[in-house]
Amino acid sequence: MTADDVDDVGTYPDYIVINKPVNQRPLRGDVVRYVGAPIAAVAATDRYAAEDAVEALAATLEIDELSPVMTVEQATSDEAPLLYPEWGDNKVVDLVGDRPEVRAALDAAPHRFTETYVVQRQTPLPMETRGVVAEYRDGRLSVWVSHQSPHIARTTYAMLLGLREADVRVVCPRVGGGFGGKTHVYSEEIVVAHLAMKLGRPVRWIEDRAEHLVASVHARDQRHVVDVGYDDEGHIHAMRCHVICDVGSGEVFMAGTCPSLVSGGVMTGSYDFPNLEVSTTCVVTNKTPAGAYRGFGAPEGVFVMERVIERVARLVGKDPNDVRAPMILQQSQMPYTMPGGGRIDSGSHQQTFERVIELGTEALQRVQARFEDDPKVRVGVGYTNYVEPCVPTYFATTGHWAGYDAATIRIEPDGGATVAVGVAEIGQGMVVTTRMLAADALGMNLDDVAVVMGDTDRAPYGLGAWGSRGAVVMAGSVVKAAEVVLDKARVIAAHKLEAAAADVVLEDGAFTVRGSPGGTAVTWAEVATAGVIRTIELPKGLEGGLDAAATYEPYALEHFPDESGRIHAAATWSNAAHAAVVAVDLRSGHISIEEYFVVHDCGTIIHPNVVEGQIVGGVAQGIAGAMYENLPYDPETGQPQFASFMEYLVPTMSEIPPVQTEHFESPAPEMPLGIKGVGEAGTIGPPAAITNAVCFALADYHLDITETPVTPMTIRAAIRGSKDRT
Amino acid sequence: MTSDTTAENRRVPIRLRVNGSTESAAVPPRLLLSDFLREGLGLTGTHVGCEHGVCGACTVLIDGTAARSCLTLAVQADEADITTIEGLAEPDGTLSTVQQAFADHFSLQCGFCTAGFLMSIAGELEQGMTEPEIRELLSGNLCRCTGYQSIVEAAVELAGTREA
Repeated sequence: MTADDVDDVGTYPDYIVINKPVNQRPLRGDVVRYVGAPIAAVAATDRYAAEDAVEALAATLEIDELSPVMTVEQATSDEAPLLYPEWGDNKVVDLVGDRPEVRAALDAAPHRFTETYVVQRQTPLPMETRGVVAEYRDGRLSVWVSHQSPHIARTTYAMLLGLREADVRVVCPRVGGGFGGKTHVYSEEIVVAHLAMKLGRPVRWIEDRAEHLVASVHARDQRHVVDVGYDDEGHIHAMRCHVICDVGSGEVFMAGTCPSLVSGGVMTGSYDFPNLEVSTTCVVTNKTPAGAYRGFGAPEGVFVMERVIERVARLVGKDPNDVRAPMILQQSQMPYTMPGGGRIDSGSHQQTFERVIELGTEALQRVQARFEDDPKVRVGVGYTNYVEPCVPTYFATTGHWAGYDAATIRIEPDGGATVAVGVAEIGQGMVVTTRMLAADALGMNLDDVAVVMGDTDRAPYGLGAWGSRGAVVMAGSVVKAAEVVLDKARVIAAHKLEAAAADVVLEDGAFTVRGSPGGTAVTWAEVATAGVIRTIELPKGLEGGLDAAATYEPYALEHFPDESGRIHAAATWSNAAHAAVVAVDLRSGHISIEEYFVVHDCGTIIHPNVVEGQIVGGVAQGIAGAMYENLPYDPETGQPQFASFMEYLVPTMSEIPPVQTEHFESPAPEMPLGIKGVGEAGTIGPPAAITNAVCFALADYHLDITETPVTPMTIRAAIRGSKDRT
Repeated sequence: MTSDTTAENRRVPIRLRVNGSTESAAVPPRLLLSDFLREGLGLTGTHVGCEHGVCGACTVLIDGTAARSCLTLAVQADEADITTIEGLAEPDGTLSTVQQAFADHFSLQCGFCTAGFLMSIAGELEQGMTEPEIRELLSGNLCRCTGYQSIVEAAVELAGTREA
């Protein structure tokens, strides 16, 4: 099956109004823009036969090679070949910041510097690659897919395949990790479903790792050009920042342009820093499309901000924490509106910062003592502060979906409950979190609550797992539905207890009359049996049934920017401070993370183990970005220089150190139960904290890192460069 | 089609024990053991994460030793005694000590890599191993979710408390 065979399949919509359209087709025909773009599909009775056929087919392909565009410089040069000639340039997004007061503050500052910071290309890399199984039977399409957003997938499949949404079922059972990469609705899913409909039999496609590295989204790949004004006291007066993101070919749904907007929007994070002007440009190149990855632009922005702080500190001869301290947000400043428009609702920015300094200072002494006999090992500590946008608008990312989610609760006749929600489980613990919260809301035991998610036939429409939002929107809808069900249950119980409903309370799984301990009790099972089966026992006029549907819309955010381009795009904000203590071997350039600390605040904690797992796992991915993973391309040919885990270096437990966490709890004032998000937080800090620590350790060599990943080559080059200077 | 259909259609008889049951099959010479287990025997608990021997998700025990089933051909397993993740728990579903330690320490999130870690530990962990030794031992298994900490905690407990 090639591009001609999918003529009757729709083109992906280009919903985002600020983006130029890419008109993505499920299979590419005339122009193929990157290695990994789907151009043909082969169906066979087993995978070995299919791969033989693909090999044979590839040998017959006739391709005219065009000049590739592989870097930001190439993409923006006047002679650049255009990926989409109708655009007139290679810029899919180009937003120019215009804040005259920032420029005036810059001009008035005693000192200035400009610098370019670079964050490399990574990929989310769930251990389970993508996979799709589709079957078309009796006029219904069923798709089992490893995806983060079952309902968004269903809507997209129905739209492109010309089916009624009710005739499409999407099931996402036990997704083996996502990290953003599986929020996108990929071409392969459409092609497999289309093949199943054409062939009249089930079709399966399981992505292999080599395919995954070129065909699933990449991310990051940003450079920030900054112009910073400061004074001799280390006070940063103003900063202009041009975020330039290489989004690859752009042919992915939803587009990968939004993370670069987040980078500029959250970079000042935990600091009171009003004078920031951000411009954002996303260029297209002949690389795999960039998309969502845990952190979603925040790690890049925070890396740049923290490196700017460290530069200023070095230039004026101050401890970097003395540059940070006057800027750190105070509780009295809440809610605090950042220069990009994000309104931080609450947090413990100063407390987490002060606590992490205590931890880092003690750890630095321990590690220095550990290496005091080895003059070839240098030790350093690095810090970072940041905020994590939680429960964001999806409209800025998709141009279509917004923030809605939903829950249904059905009390079963035996007194148990089936709780179905629109959020999804991708390994982050959403099932156990939902069960715990629903059991609490319904006054039931954990074992009495069955949780349903990830099946569009059984769960209400919802937007799935992304954006550090699941716990909040799940809780918002589940608590509402539980209240409706409980109100009715109290009426039924009151009738049985011959009391007024207002006097009935639910305690330890039984309904009793308030103030009569030890008195008559009615169990959930009795209430449920009356409500659903023995409806003859209901009070006169009360209809049977014990179920409720509720939705949650995060009204505490905005979906559209104001006239100056500012947008309050997330409903609540977690905060954290990290400290990394590293030992750097001057001989080999080897960097060892000796100790790592996270002092974190995600509001009310529902399930401590889930929160811990999210933070520690997130830190590991942050370390991967800070030190190991990279996706380089040959600039001449456009060929990826990675095909396996031998090139894409995912850290093992030999590289990832123990991570110590501490928590503050600042409840989110406008969120259900005060909950904030935690899914992305851990990933944001490590690039900044580790780089700062390495530069501390190598202060004698005047190392000022502006680019990740920081590798032994970075260290050795700095040492050699320093020798060259002397 | 340019490939040699004779070679494609060739089948080699193999006989092996998998989780205590004797299995006989005629398999293509190029069939991976991981595919034989998953597709041929329906033992999908063995996960395939990279197919080039780095991630360790597909680890099984071959004659008691942890090995990559994606780097082993099914024909190489002729006469072998294989244990997969399906063979780790008791027949009544009671978790093995290794599995129970993972449950106790929240050592998994998405669970995709878990079978590989469990088989590596079941096959290779020795009593009294120190944490650095354990980190070295299990550095052939990738996990993208946990940051490894909870896995190390489970393995350390097992190295100190597991019955020989």
